[in-house]
Amino acid sequence: MSIDLDLRHYLSIIRKRVWLLIAIVILSTTVTGVVSYKYLQPVYQAYTKLIVNSANDKPGMVQLDLNAINTNISLINTYKEIIRTPAIMDKVVAQHPEFKVTTDELMRNINFTSVNGTQVVTLSYPSTNYKAAARIVNAISEVFQAQIPNIMKVDNVYLLHMANENKQPAPIKPNPKLNMAIMFVLSFMFGIGLVLLLDYFDDRIKSEADVERYLGLPTLVQIPSIRQVDLRGAQKTKTTAKAGEQSRAAN
Amino acid sequence: MQPTNQFSVSNTRPIITDLNPLSPISEAYRTLRTNLQYAGVDRSLQLLMVTSASPREGKTTTINNLAAAYAQADKSVLLIDADLRKPTAHQTFQLSNRCGLTHVLAGNASAREAVKETHIRNLSVMPSGSIPPNPSELLASRKMDLLLDELRQMFDLVLIDTPPVLAVSDAQIMASRCDGVLLVINAKSVKRQHALKARDALHFVQAKIVGVAMNQTAASELNGYYSYMQASAE
Repeated sequence: MSIDLDLRHYLSIIRKRVWLLIAIVILSTTVTGVVSYKYLQPVYQAYTKLIVNSANDKPGMVQLDLNAINTNISLINTYKEIIRTPAIMDKVVAQHPEFKVTTDELMRNINFTSVNGTQVVTLSYPSTNYKAAARIVNAISEVFQAQIPNIMKVDNVYLLHMANENKQPAPIKPNPKLNMAIMFVLSFMFGIGLVLLLDYFDDRIKSEADVERYLGLPTLVQIPSIRQVDLRGAQKTKTTAKAGEQSRAAN
Repeated sequence: MQPTNQFSVSNTRPIITDLNPLSPISEAYRTLRTNLQYAGVDRSLQLLMVTSASPREGKTTTINNLAAAYAQADKSVLLIDADLRKPTAHQTFQLSNRCGLTHVLAGNASAREAVKETHIRNLSVMPSGSIPPNPSELLASRKMDLLLDELRQMFDLVLIDTPPVLAVSDAQIMASRCDGVLLVINAKSVKRQHALKARDALHFVQAKIVGVAMNQTAASELNGYYSYMQASAE
């Protein structure tokens, strides 16, 4: 029962400042929407797919034993680290000065993922310009493929799929709807917190219960604010009475 | 016993109990009147003082309406404006302030001369008189005790309007001579600490606080009854 009362108490506190809560939620969600749609530059992502597979020493012989596959899969982790080294990236920058990117930028942005248990690796690169992203990720893949035999003494990286720079895919971010949904929830929580905090710091005596609790005095009456309407009530009744009299006189 | 409406709405402090007796707000003042009658069971509340912690909480509005409500109940009521710092009763009731409380206390007039009839039947008002340089001393004087005793004989009920408790000591001085004190609390403005201080100040002079009148509460609390009131008014 006390939980029930508590809940009702909180609800009444929130209801008292519900306009504040609504204002915060609407304002922050709208601002997020406007910023996401109008001001944030869309970011695109280009990707290439590589496969890591040991070269067949003996042509014409099918060599697909589980050990070899496992070896390749564990190699993927090694490659993941190799690609993020200047050994690869410096070469990309040197070969393609037109990208106007630094080694650090490339190392920070390149994404190297592989689905567990497969030999396929996805290299992806985000940019506000899809064409640039496609060219960069293609260049990285090519340099990587060319450099691996030098580094690992094994030529086992093949390009499966190159990014097509003429395609224009949907941007990966921003996602305005998701941003707005997140902001809606966040601002709602923030608003409720603010309302409760304001009530906590509000030390006015607002109700009969407050009078009893803080002053220990009985409340004899609660007088609402007098509005102009309340004063005009008397005149209204007067005019209707007059109208009634007139109609009676007419009869 | 419907009082005549001589006042325009544009008046600075309209008395709603008088202007619009059917309003739910007037009903609130009648409720206050009823509750006060029962609050003074052990000791009759003949001298009732109204005060508040801080200025602008609605003391004067409350006391004016309460006085009108008592007068409507066929009691002879006197309203004394003992707020010698900011007197307003003479304006509200459109009376001369040439002869009032301070003149009686100074010995320049008799109580009967200072008491004035108002347009509301049964309701008399003693305006403040000219503003003195030493209100606290005047209110604390022996003359004041004599005056109050005299007024007790003349009226069923004497309501005394005073300055805020926390501002000046006048209210405390008067409270010790009254049968009861009604504390007006403005639900929109008063700080808990101020209300507590005011209560303690009144308790300190052994005043009997009969209760609290919450002023300016949200109108929604009365809405439930409002339709009922209007229906009965038809």
